[in-house]
Amino acid sequence: MDESPFQIDTRGEFAFPENHRFDAGYGLTEATIDYICDAKGEPDWVRQFRKDALKRFHEMPMPTHWAPEGINNLDFDQIRYYLAHGTAPYKSWDDVPDDVKRTFERLGVPEQERAFLAGVDAQYDSETAYNNMREELSKQGVIFVNSTEGLREYEHIFRPWFGKVIPVNDNKFSALNHAAFSGGSFIYVPKGVKLAQPLQAYFRINSESMGQFERTLIIADEGAELMYMEGCTAPKYDSATLHSGVVELVALKGAKIQYVTVQNWATNVYNLVIQRGLAMEDAEIRWIDCNIGSGLTMKYPAVVLQGRRARGEVVSISLAHSGQLQDTGARMIHAAPETTSNIVAKSISIGEGRASYRGEVNVLKGMKGCKNNTECDALLINPTSRTDTYPAISVNGNASAVQHEASVSQVDEEMLFYMQQRGLTRAQAMSLAVNGFINDLVKEFPMEYSVELRRLIDLEMEDSIG
Amino acid sequence: MSLIIKDLYARVKDGAQILNGVSLEIPKGEVHAIMGPNGSGKSTLSKVLCGHPDYEVISGTAELDGQDIFAMTVDERSRAGLFLAFQYPVEVPGVSNANFLRAALQARLPKGEELDAVSFYKTMRSTMTKLGMDTKFTARSVNEGFSGGEKKRNDILQMMMLEPTYAILDETDSGLDVDALRIVSDGVNAMRAPYRSFMIITHYKRLLDYIKPDVVHVLYKGRIERTGGYELVESIEQNGFDFLKTEE
Amino acid sequence: MSMEEAFALAEAEAKLQQALAEGKQRFENAVVPNRYNEDWRFGRPNKYAAALVELLQSDTASSGKAEVKNAGDAAMVVTRDDDDLRQTEMLMPSIGSDALLGMHLKRFGSGYALFIEKSISEPIHIYYSTGGLYTPSTFIMVAPGVKAEVIEHHAADTPEATMFVTRNIHVAEGSELSVSLHSSGFSRYMCITDIQNMGGKVHHLTTHDNTLWTREETVAEIYAGTESTCNNLYSANRPAGESILDQHTRQIHHVGGAASDLLYKNVVDDNATAIFAGNIYVATGAHHTDAYQSNRNMLLSEKATIHSLPGLEILADKVRCSHGSASAPMDDEQLFYMCSRGIPRREAQLLVAEGFLAEVINKFRALSQSS
Repeated sequence: MDESPFQIDTRGEFAFPENHRFDAGYGLTEATIDYICDAKGEPDWVRQFRKDALKRFHEMPMPTHWAPEGINNLDFDQIRYYLAHGTAPYKSWDDVPDDVKRTFERLGVPEQERAFLAGVDAQYDSETAYNNMREELSKQGVIFVNSTEGLREYEHIFRPWFGKVIPVNDNKFSALNHAAFSGGSFIYVPKGVKLAQPLQAYFRINSESMGQFERTLIIADEGAELMYMEGCTAPKYDSATLHSGVVELVALKGAKIQYVTVQNWATNVYNLVIQRGLAMEDAEIRWIDCNIGSGLTMKYPAVVLQGRRARGEVVSISLAHSGQLQDTGARMIHAAPETTSNIVAKSISIGEGRASYRGEVNVLKGMKGCKNNTECDALLINPTSRTDTYPAISVNGNASAVQHEASVSQVDEEMLFYMQQRGLTRAQAMSLAVNGFINDLVKEFPMEYSVELRRLIDLEMEDSIG
Repeated sequence: MSLIIKDLYARVKDGAQILNGVSLEIPKGEVHAIMGPNGSGKSTLSKVLCGHPDYEVISGTAELDGQDIFAMTVDERSRAGLFLAFQYPVEVPGVSNANFLRAALQARLPKGEELDAVSFYKTMRSTMTKLGMDTKFTARSVNEGFSGGEKKRNDILQMMMLEPTYAILDETDSGLDVDALRIVSDGVNAMRAPYRSFMIITHYKRLLDYIKPDVVHVLYKGRIERTGGYELVESIEQNGFDFLKTEE
Repeated sequence: MSMEEAFALAEAEAKLQQALAEGKQRFENAVVPNRYNEDWRFGRPNKYAAALVELLQSDTASSGKAEVKNAGDAAMVVTRDDDDLRQTEMLMPSIGSDALLGMHLKRFGSGYALFIEKSISEPIHIYYSTGGLYTPSTFIMVAPGVKAEVIEHHAADTPEATMFVTRNIHVAEGSELSVSLHSSGFSRYMCITDIQNMGGKVHHLTTHDNTLWTREETVAEIYAGTESTCNNLYSANRPAGESILDQHTRQIHHVGGAASDLLYKNVVDDNATAIFAGNIYVATGAHHTDAYQSNRNMLLSEKATIHSLPGLEILADKVRCSHGSASAPMDDEQLFYMCSRGIPRREAQLLVAEGFLAEVINKFRALSQSS
């Protein structure tokens, strides 16, 4: 049945041959940046912007308060910073090269397109390989392009917000992304436009030691609403790979943005992503985040509640099996009065896997009537599994209410026994129990993602319990 | 000497207007019942009179024996003789019933005068016995972990101890079984006096069978629509509040 | 002595020597608290720890008064040349303050050691007071099966006074110790406590009043235990004015089957700041552990600040573990209810705040009295 010459294991880890027209080689220097700018035909201000960021990147130390220990194993000189088939996105499926198509087929992208796709901006390595946007979207004035095109063709829209939510000097990885970014989606939804269907992008890393530095900027103008989904997968190679994306969201007055991620990188990928949204008056930003893959994930979606009555939410699921550290969490900065935020995080540690929650909730001085509610629940499957919780809550003043609850539990043996007595294998019973644990959160994901999630959990359980 | 409310308009802070010109006079010594369908403003009226922070007065006046109620803070109103038995009495963790009542009584004494602890405990114990409350409740935190009925009884205990001149009972009958209702009513009846009046807010005739009102008011859409005697209670019991709607 | 016992003794001695060697290195390498130290994240070390460091490194002699009551022959004065006790202090953990602990060791030689070998009905009181700088050490050792209560009073004679105390508490199998610590009135107050529970019960309460800067580091470890083994940590405080209360706790379960509980409550007024950073650590293999941690704060003024960092690190299975943190203003409904009974607002606030903290004291008392 499988005609592919490539082996695919249970976690979807597999390889494809490399064939790139552009390759900037290993390491990141001014020359690398010139190479990237030339290949992409970028304007001078972007080139200068990248070079300034490079300087900051070299100057800045590795993060301390917000970092697990494993991050120091990373060697920035062993990374290739730019690889591409070509610069122009393929607008039609027929134009996409066969090997790329095969990759997408493995990933099920065409099915998803048939199912519900409103527009595709699928990323194959650094450049957008396939880009299809339905006509009515552009009729509504929606802009959905890659970062190169966004800065070149729509500078007046994107430049004012570019690097404003997450500045260059936010931390070392932010500087790195500002210097080396390529790919990603730039989206603008005009005033009052409410997109009924989600926008989608699919990321892949398919070259060994390839850093993926996608850059996404989404602006929802006043009263606009959209949902954006990304899925990420990478084949497994012998050496480590770095993914260091930056995602900036801007929800202007009364706008709503939902950002959905299902991350399933191979286990030798470092997944270090900065995601932050700015919510203005009455706006709402929701991060719906699921981390299954990658050896080390550091990802703490943030919402800066900048306008009165703004709302922020993070819904997070992490699954850590042996050899994985899922260091995930959320940050809520209450910078305006009467802002509310909600964090629900659930993690599952399997085998020797380690899942950590790192969170920050900060109610700034003088902000009245703010509310936060945080719930973190961890499930440990094996005696060797590990979970950590590191919340930091700061409240200034007597007019806000902040609450954090966390618990650690195991699957109830009585429940497993009951299910096994009814004829299920231990793995099946465990899988049901784990699915039950995250059931209320899985509902937040679009249908095809939640089906995929459940399937992945089944596979994990078979692997670890058999 | 009476409680006089004139043209009272009030709303939820930054929200809906609920009282639309309530006028009412309760002379000393009388028991007035306030009836009305859900959402007519009964509880709002009681809370506005006591100065609940969620509500604001738009216009109108309320006087307690000639004193402007709205010029007073919540605790000043209480010390001036106004008492509210809450529809949902509040839990105060870590503060014992006894300490709470002592503090409330102490606040009523002139500066420098100490409450006599012995007679306080005596009175408290005997009042609790009258209400059928276990005296162990003296040491328990105010309303914390109490059942609905126990909370209501505890509020009546406070009323009997604080001896207000104007007592508002906000749906005190809800959540009480027949025995508890009788005990509470006996307590209220025992307190009836020429120098004290009651405003009894209720949906049902049941409570008013135990505590016979002198005057009955019907509150509807934030106004007093009808005022009469006990016969009004019987008519509502039989026909409900539909007569109000047909008048529109 | 049998061969086995002799061998075990020799092994224990070797372990101790190694630990001491490592311990020495630990103090030599230790860096004074700075803001890059995770354990001093919100504690403004440049302002507060630096002042303490300066004082400890100065020529100012440690001086204070130490008294003990109801101890009978259990109490012993700690002297400079008591190597056993000094070693105990050398081996105790700190939470980001090894450098300070090293400085305390240099001034070692005051305070009381209690060797409680039989159950006592009356609580033992320890009093430390000073008008200058005082750095005493307290040691409490409870023999197997013994029940005891100890109350420590750490008081300032003048508002400028500084006290820095270390406390080592060792509870043997089947014993039960209630120990409370009340500090008040200092300019700077710091205490580092290590509780080593070998299979008994420990109930520990701290309250800190009227001190400008308070730093508490409490490590509660369980080394051996059964279902009834527990460490219960409580604290209730009302920081006000310009004061900083910086509390750090570790609940460490080296072995499974035991329980620990923590409830730290603060009512924060005026410009005061309260920091709570706790951690539950359940070691690999410490299965069937129950561990709870709760930090609750009530903020009374617009300028009051809290930082709450309740952490968990769980490396074992069959663990029941939870933590919570809540920070809120005083409940308006409670205030209204009390005012509606005629209690003036300020007094009602005091009552609600007292009630809020009473939960902690009551929990501790209930446990102390049941013993």
